[in-house]
Amino acid sequence: MSDLLKELYQEIILDHGNTPRNFGKCEPFNKSADGHNPLCGDKVHLTLLVDDQNIIKDIKFTGEGCAISIASTSLMTQNLKGKSLEYANNLFQDFSNLVTGSSDELQIITEEDSLYSLKGVGAFPMRVKCATLSWHAFKSAIDEK
Amino acid sequence: MDQIELKENIQADFPALNKKILKNDLIYFDTAASAQKPSVVINELSDFYLNHYSNVSRGVHTLCVEATFKYEDARKKVQKFLNAYSENEIIFTKNATESINLIAQSYYQRYLKSGDEIILSVMEHHSNLLPWYFLRDNYGIVLKFINIDSDGNLNLDHFETLITKKTKLVAVTHLSNVFGTITDKKLIEISRANDLHILLDGCQSISHIKVDMQEIDCDFYAFSGHKIYGPSGIGVLYGKENLLDELPPFLGGGGMISEVTYDGATYAALPNKFEAGTPPLVEAHGLGVALDYVESIGMDKIEQYEKILTEYADQKMADLDFVINYSKSKNKTSIISFNLNKIHAHEVASFLDVEGIAVRAGHHCCQPLMKLLNVTATSRISFGIYNTKSEIDYFIDSLTKCKNFFGVK
Repeated sequence: MSDLLKELYQEIILDHGNTPRNFGKCEPFNKSADGHNPLCGDKVHLTLLVDDQNIIKDIKFTGEGCAISIASTSLMTQNLKGKSLEYANNLFQDFSNLVTGSSDELQIITEEDSLYSLKGVGAFPMRVKCATLSWHAFKSAIDEK
Repeated sequence: MDQIELKENIQADFPALNKKILKNDLIYFDTAASAQKPSVVINELSDFYLNHYSNVSRGVHTLCVEATFKYEDARKKVQKFLNAYSENEIIFTKNATESINLIAQSYYQRYLKSGDEIILSVMEHHSNLLPWYFLRDNYGIVLKFINIDSDGNLNLDHFETLITKKTKLVAVTHLSNVFGTITDKKLIEISRANDLHILLDGCQSISHIKVDMQEIDCDFYAFSGHKIYGPSGIGVLYGKENLLDELPPFLGGGGMISEVTYDGATYAALPNKFEAGTPPLVEAHGLGVALDYVESIGMDKIEQYEKILTEYADQKMADLDFVINYSKSKNKTSIISFNLNKIHAHEVASFLDVEGIAVRAGHHCCQPLMKLLNVTATSRISFGIYNTKSEIDYFIDSLTKCKNFFGVK
């Protein structure tokens, strides 16, 4: 296996891809959104419970997709649960920079963070959408009035 | 002679111009029909097929990445060239004709009902007539035509009298392919004041004058890549994003969908919604390279240079009393339609061909206009960035030879 592929499919990605965390539906939830990548057919359905202090109390997802897409979603839910929407917005931007090869501009994500494992996506431009699908769905869920 | 050049030895950039017609050097005065291609474009097409070719968008392998990036890069180049607000406003088609057909069909479905009116002009190319005739014939849309004055300018007073509460769209040429007339900005102002949507046929304006979508403020603009030194088989539809967003798709197929079931489908977002099937991806890249080439010279300089050529040809032709020049607008460029007294345009074109000069003769896809001018055909010269004043001198001499050959007084 080449280094690029090892970089792309780190153990943590395969783990989350095979056994996603926070899989299911929040009960109750007050925000939701669907993500869909028409190029490959990947789908994600997100549900969130956000309290009146703008804290994400719960976040879960269902859907189908490749290991990158599922692992990215699973890691996203782990990293957002219990956090404020403001933090989530900043993390969204950071994550976009991470997977599009602008990792020198990171503000929040460090090399020790689980999300950093998705950095390898940057070498495969056509897979960036796999990694960002659920993040865009999250963004549309919280931007929805 | 006050010879000016756009770029040093520019003709060397266009290998086709080395061709000899019999023993004569080729003088290419038919750019309005299609422009010759610079080596950079020809070489890039070949390089794409040799080194980067695959289908776009639907794969993850390296060649697919390279092809997709080149294709999308071309879209960025078109956006920048047109100064469009967003890449989503740039739809790749096979040519301007397809672009206009797309708008006609989709616009009808979204905005029109029987009895609604569309305004065209009497000097439209068939490609900006037939798509609308389909709407008239099939759906009862009423078409009206703006007259021209004796100099070949749109009569904007007449335009205003045509507008009613049922008028929804005005679709006219931005630069006449017969007269070279540039459409007055006032047409846009009048249209805006009357809440009309505006489509400009940019087939000629794209290569002869600087076009800026945000400044012109039309709703739709169509052009073909081959007229601006790019390959054939690639066209562009520009449309304001909010309008394109509202229009239903034109062609159905791969690439334009979001989700498909046996019961139906939802559509992709812009611009993919209007790009069904494998697009002319190599040609799109070629167009991007052609636009880079044109921008390396500068559209401002090109516009200025071609106006000088046009004025020069006008003056020289005015000295010949056997020449009838139909392109009389003061606001024109790059295109002159003419006839020689009592000699059919086809005779003139064949004579000039033997002299090495490529001109067009016929109705220029404007049969109704020819009827209005009361001619069966005209000859037409049109200039591109590679033409020179000395070529015009040679052409003028050839016109006199032609007249003498056919024995016309």
